[in-house]
Amino acid sequence: MPITGFWRSAVLGAKESTPFCVSTFLFGILFGVAATASGLSLFLGLVMSGATFSASAQFAAMELWSHPLPVSAILLSVFLVSSRNILLGLSITNHIDGHSLLTRLVCLGLLSDPGVVMVLRASRSINNLGYLFGYGAALWVSWVASVWLGFAFSNVFTGADIGALAFAGPLVMTCMMMLFVKGGRGHKLAWVVSGISALLMAMVGLEAYLILPVAVMVGIIPILMQLGGSNE
Amino acid sequence: MSEQSGELGLVLLSIALVVYLTRIAGYLLGQRLRHIGRLRPVLEALPGCALMALIVPAVYRGSLIDLSALVFVVIVMWKWDNIVAATFGGLIILLSENSLTEWLHSLT
Repeated sequence: MPITGFWRSAVLGAKESTPFCVSTFLFGILFGVAATASGLSLFLGLVMSGATFSASAQFAAMELWSHPLPVSAILLSVFLVSSRNILLGLSITNHIDGHSLLTRLVCLGLLSDPGVVMVLRASRSINNLGYLFGYGAALWVSWVASVWLGFAFSNVFTGADIGALAFAGPLVMTCMMMLFVKGGRGHKLAWVVSGISALLMAMVGLEAYLILPVAVMVGIIPILMQLGGSNE
Repeated sequence: MSEQSGELGLVLLSIALVVYLTRIAGYLLGQRLRHIGRLRPVLEALPGCALMALIVPAVYRGSLIDLSALVFVVIVMWKWDNIVAATFGGLIILLSENSLTEWLHSLT
């Protein structure tokens, strides 16, 4: 049965976000611990988490958190790690029509990687904007609650080997990638080309912030060639 | 609230603003491009390309334990599509890095 209403789709999105809420929860606790170690107060940590709602951006900011604050460097770093959001926004251009621009811009504040993956992996009769909103809202609640817990119980984690979890981000991304791969609506050649080009750039020691845009541009070449070929 | 807290709050809100702008910028750019209907497959391929561009270099720079965790995640996702089991199993492997490294050393 198709679910076409905004709020019904939002509820569906919130329900389907549960698996990623679990990993978000873990990252939130880690962020709370890291923020406590950096000297951020609970109030400001919650303001940051509620307003930013981005693990990668917040961890990037915390890495540079020192006194006096290197504000420009922090903002540049946050922009670079968040630049993939631009690609996410581009990818859903044709999927969230039927609402006012204001509604779309408000809902995009809760844009999340797994939410976009779930919208793109399969064609369903749902209100995609509502789904993205519900998905993002559930992740937001999980994120803010877990950051609070991280602050509250930071002493428990003192001395724990949190550095061992540095690879946790790529693991969660791999889960998302597998959803794409199994979704069957993919552009597998583009993904493989992006992956190979990213590997080559990593091998020659290119800076991480350059690898993302270049690998994505190289990855879409096969699709552009396909489009060009079908045009002739 | 002290003056310092006020300044910190301003920096934190600037961070939030930068992230929000990245969230809407792609969509607004896409609105400009959407009349080129043939670009749709290109736009939809972008998140997958971005994920690959982030995962592959991390794997290249990672340790053997990181690679083991990744293989575990891929197998669980491929066979059972279970995100929670894949994530938790992978994290347990990462957290056991020290023990596993000691065990591997004891074998050699």
